[in-house]
Amino acid sequence: MSERFQQGSLSARYGRPFVKLVLALTLFFLAFPVVMTFVSSFASDWFGVFPTGFVTTANWEDVIVGTGVGADVAVGSSLVYSTGLALGGVVINLIVGVPIAYAVARYDFWGRDWVNVFAILPLAPGIILGVAFLRTYPDLSTSGIALIIGYSLLKAPYMVMAVQSSFQSMDLQQIEESARSLGASWPRTFLTVIVPNAKTGIIAGSIISWTLAAAEFNFSYIVYSRGTPPLAIFLFNNITNASFLNAAAAVSVFFLLIALVTIALQIIGNRGAVRRI
Amino acid sequence: MGADHVSTDTRAAESVQATLKSLVSPASERQREIRRIVALCIPFSILLVFSGVFPLTEMFRISFSESRLVTEGFTVEYYRTLVTDPYYRNIAFNTLWFAAATTVTSICVAVPVAHALEKYALPAKSVILTVLSFPNSLPGIVAAFMIIILFGNTGVLSNVFAFLSGQSRIDVAIATSVGGLFFAYIYSMIPRALLLLRGTYAEVNTDAEEAARALGATPLQTFRYVTLPQIKPGVIGAFILVFRTGLAIFGTVLILKGLLVWTLQIDRELAQGFNIAQASAMATVWFFFVFGFTVLALRYTSAEVSI
Repeated sequence: MSERFQQGSLSARYGRPFVKLVLALTLFFLAFPVVMTFVSSFASDWFGVFPTGFVTTANWEDVIVGTGVGADVAVGSSLVYSTGLALGGVVINLIVGVPIAYAVARYDFWGRDWVNVFAILPLAPGIILGVAFLRTYPDLSTSGIALIIGYSLLKAPYMVMAVQSSFQSMDLQQIEESARSLGASWPRTFLTVIVPNAKTGIIAGSIISWTLAAAEFNFSYIVYSRGTPPLAIFLFNNITNASFLNAAAAVSVFFLLIALVTIALQIIGNRGAVRRI
Repeated sequence: MGADHVSTDTRAAESVQATLKSLVSPASERQREIRRIVALCIPFSILLVFSGVFPLTEMFRISFSESRLVTEGFTVEYYRTLVTDPYYRNIAFNTLWFAAATTVTSICVAVPVAHALEKYALPAKSVILTVLSFPNSLPGIVAAFMIIILFGNTGVLSNVFAFLSGQSRIDVAIATSVGGLFFAYIYSMIPRALLLLRGTYAEVNTDAEEAARALGATPLQTFRYVTLPQIKPGVIGAFILVFRTGLAIFGTVLILKGLLVWTLQIDRELAQGFNIAQASAMATVWFFFVFGFTVLALRYTSAEVSI
């Protein structure tokens, strides 16, 4: 009887420790370099095994104020510029994403699944779309408009998914019918009843698509030609050209941004969105 | 025959007219609903056409152009280069095997991690979840920097390996080799695979697993014959998604340069002499390959796919 349970089998004895080991190694692999980057950004040298010369803010000053060497720019101007571009993308995403999410969540129509696939699967990744933009809108690339419309297409799926998850938790038909029977026209129902009810999803979607647009590198790298570099290009310039610890500080600025966004999402209480970002 | 043709034409035209008319001034509730659906889909369609379909079409057209900077004439020269030149064939081969190998590795890591997250009582679980999803929002260049931290010339693991093997740490630093690139790829792939697999794991029927264990199956047998068939759609979905991601990775390779892959070569075509026709041909091939791969994979497997 006892051998039927095979308590002595290899997987019973070593299975759980093995799975836990994989988990621990994965956590180390993903989190350790992030911590090291942040810590070393306050160090003055890193020649040996560990960074030394704590605590200095010189690296952060170089990043935030700028070193003034060559065409180097401070993070401030890049951050402001990227914020603006990404906000432009978010505005477009709101205009296109909320309606299509509602159409898919509320109505049943021919080709609905395909509309959904197009709305939530990215059509082409950044680099491919970048090549296409370079060919099609060569004059726009210097003004940032190309970046805005590119960002909005690349990040639209995240907006649609976040808003959809909000819509799915609402009884849309009932809400719509109540408002209609009380005399509201359909556009008014949509704008003043449906949209405010999906507030959580809309805010979460905006934050996510904003962050991802600000972080988009591949598309920006191909399309960007001159002027203030977007944040991702700024990071790239720091990683490839600046000293190692300056690069660590620049990457840490980005980490702080993501941390702020994660906290913001947690405050709104959209747990699904937190996982997705 | 001719008359038939004409009447089909007029009938089609009439039906189009009728549809348009019903959209502009709907007569029934159903028609009004259709008008609403169309109105809701229009903004997205406009964005899709202007920033997606139109640029991609222009890209497709210039890849057949005889002139370098404007679309003129018709030639398949650039595609012939891609097929016949061993240089490009080699890049295609590199891209495919590398993306496939990293995809398989990251799924092999993500399945046990998702298993542990779902089944085990873990301390500080919300912290673990945050750490595991954090890299999802990092661009590829930051993933590359993380690998430099771990495996670069002064990298932490380089130091450990140097200590263990007694070699100089410069000799054991692998950040800019194929190995370093491998880790950089899975750095951004594991969290993405986890996202999907955790969703799948949440729906696994635990009664069946308990029954299997009670009937005497070992944990491994339970996983192999009870859990794995249930998570199979998620695993296939994760494979499709992560493989697509792997083919699109560019920033990481641009920094680490361990292997010449398709996306890096597209950038080189542009950087060295702005050969946009060749770059467009490569981008077009990429687009149709991934599009076809996704459609076929979704059609012939039971995969679950979201972003």
